[in-house]
Amino acid sequence: MSSKHDEKFASIPAIQDGFREACYITSRQTATTVFLAYHLGKPILVEGPAGVGKTELAKTIATYLDLPLIRLQCYEGLDESKALYEWKYGKQLLYTQLLRDKLDHLVNKEDSFSQSIDKLHQYDDIFFSWHFLEPRPLLKALQQKDGTVLLIDEVDKSDDEFEAFLLEVLSDYQVSIPEIGTIHSVTKPFVVLTSNNTRELSEALKRRCLHLYIPFPDPALERDIIHIRVPDISKSLTLQLVTFIQEVRKLDIKKVPSISETIDWARVLLILHADNLHPDLVRETLHIFIKFEEDIRIVEEQLHHLTTQAVRASGG
Amino acid sequence: MDRVLEDFISTLRGSGVRISLSESLDAAHAVQLVGYDERRLLKDSLAAALAKSAPEKEIFSDCFDRFFSFDFFPEYPEDTPRREAAEGMSSLSRMLLEGDQAGLITTMREAARTENLNAIQFYTQKSLYVMRILDRMGLNGLDRDIRELFLSGSPSSSATAARLEEARDYVYDNVRAYVEDQYRLFSGSEADKMLETYLRNTKLSNLEQRYYQQMQHIIQRLVKKLNDLHSRRKKPSRRGQLDFKQTLRDNIAYQGFLFDPKWKKIKIERPDVVAICDISRSVSRLVRFLLLFLYGLNKEIIHIRSFIFCSNLTEVTHVFDAYPVDEAVARIQAGTDLPILLARTDYDRSFRDFKDQYMDAVTHKTTVLILGDARNNYNDPQTRILKIISERCKKLIWLNPETKPFWGTGDSEMKRYTPYCHVLKECNTLNHLERVVQSLLKK
Repeated sequence: MSSKHDEKFASIPAIQDGFREACYITSRQTATTVFLAYHLGKPILVEGPAGVGKTELAKTIATYLDLPLIRLQCYEGLDESKALYEWKYGKQLLYTQLLRDKLDHLVNKEDSFSQSIDKLHQYDDIFFSWHFLEPRPLLKALQQKDGTVLLIDEVDKSDDEFEAFLLEVLSDYQVSIPEIGTIHSVTKPFVVLTSNNTRELSEALKRRCLHLYIPFPDPALERDIIHIRVPDISKSLTLQLVTFIQEVRKLDIKKVPSISETIDWARVLLILHADNLHPDLVRETLHIFIKFEEDIRIVEEQLHHLTTQAVRASGG
Repeated sequence: MDRVLEDFISTLRGSGVRISLSESLDAAHAVQLVGYDERRLLKDSLAAALAKSAPEKEIFSDCFDRFFSFDFFPEYPEDTPRREAAEGMSSLSRMLLEGDQAGLITTMREAARTENLNAIQFYTQKSLYVMRILDRMGLNGLDRDIRELFLSGSPSSSATAARLEEARDYVYDNVRAYVEDQYRLFSGSEADKMLETYLRNTKLSNLEQRYYQQMQHIIQRLVKKLNDLHSRRKKPSRRGQLDFKQTLRDNIAYQGFLFDPKWKKIKIERPDVVAICDISRSVSRLVRFLLLFLYGLNKEIIHIRSFIFCSNLTEVTHVFDAYPVDEAVARIQAGTDLPILLARTDYDRSFRDFKDQYMDAVTHKTTVLILGDARNNYNDPQTRILKIISERCKKLIWLNPETKPFWGTGDSEMKRYTPYCHVLKECNTLNHLERVVQSLLKK
């Protein structure tokens, strides 16, 4: 990472303010980790429940640094050819066809087989050079001159083999391509890995990263987030809906509402011109943040109680 | 890396957070970057570098708060008037008279460091450390000052002496609280580990009742560990090794042309176990553990059938399935609702029962596990049946809680059974049990 960003990472409040401008509210813990990651040149491994803004964090860092974001979405079966590089087979084939005359010319008819091979060997592996290499996200990230933000999303979905393969990239910022050699990064990318904890990541991977756990936000932080994402919504309604959501998270349900769903709900309430929560309104819009039939039933049972509680909290 | 961070990291390690060398280097860099000035910042930074999962974060937070606590030596109550320290007094007395809180804390920490308080392991060491730290802080000097002040006899100096006397208790209380705190911090997990090692290596029959609860946890963990180790599906195919026999066989259809190559595979078989456990009086002190263990196996291994015997034999798989551990074990030991006679051990009748009723449970894939001391009260040993079982099953494992020299003495039929056992082991500690299960699950 070049020193031109040093100013942006001078202090933790500076990062928090900068992120706020990019419409992302961070806790102090998050800002501290980003600060350290930048100064120590380490990747960040972000864990936490779904929908707390793990991916968004990487996007915000990219916006803040004014760098391109390169995203690698992990899934089961992801391998090197999808993540690192691939030979442009079609192009190789096409070129050999086009250059057929050239090759004929190069290799005389009188030459014996071994002579022809020797002649061909005088030319380097033209067909296995940069021109025929299709860089995939990881390689692309290493090649960027001005640096980049590399987001390796949901790394827990990938296989163990791929995780092991990542280690080289993460610790030395280099990759090895057998035909070409080892490629070092031009500028160290800022790497963010996210995980939903569907499986335990290996010790080796964790060791190479700084670890950040983003939990569900506390009420004040969540109100802040709503405020900045949905600026038109009234203060009292924000207070009510955040109180409501926070209470719902305490219930024993299959999938608790995430921040992004809170934001969606706030937008919907805004469109419906609601000023206050009332049970009917909540019941009609419940499906926006509760996604399972059983969950809806559980929340509906408590609905009246929760709504009145939320309204009372706002003093309305 | 500085001492404070080093101590803190070893504390974290002691509490069960795994920290590698590279991570501690990261932490050191982070500290260089952020400094010790701001508590919150330091905590966040170290958390990012050292604790790498949500549970670890919790442990970290707890350790951090305890490690970096500075609430010792609270201010004196205001009403006691401050007194001037006289010339020639020890530095401790001076600090006490002047109410120098920071100085006292520093001296105490310094003393604790020189005395290696972080090596504390047992609660019995606490008073020793308290005395040593007090000595280091200069308690002798304080005592001398008090004595001299009393001897000098003037009212003001005896008032100062009384004041110092009070202060002495105050120092004592604080140091003790500090040692207590540090003991909890440093020793906690170490002491647990010691106890666990002790429990694992002690003969099960010698264990006291009060450790039962803990043993249960250890057994559960042990079974869980074994299961974790063996339940994970590894990639079954061995890459690139031709299975020649299979290839030949399969390609007969193509007139012997090797048209369709077959590759070698590693087959992992799920364990299939029949466990037979003696619950008679001769092994009564062990039965509980054997049953606990059996219960654990029952929960973890899918294909398992458990039997118990004393004067006769009966199946108890359903009891393990239906009841929580304590109740299941109690029920079996008492024979509640079970068709079992708890009289003299009778291997004759028990083996015959097994042969007549449950022989179909044993197949060529089954591992048969017998837990018992082979003390048969001079009945017919029925080696014939054991031979049949042994020939039918994949492996017959006999675990005998008696030590080897006792095998075959008196009414023990162990020597006669020996030829039919594929594995015969002495088993009376948890470590024995663990090793056996490992061999049970391994292919």
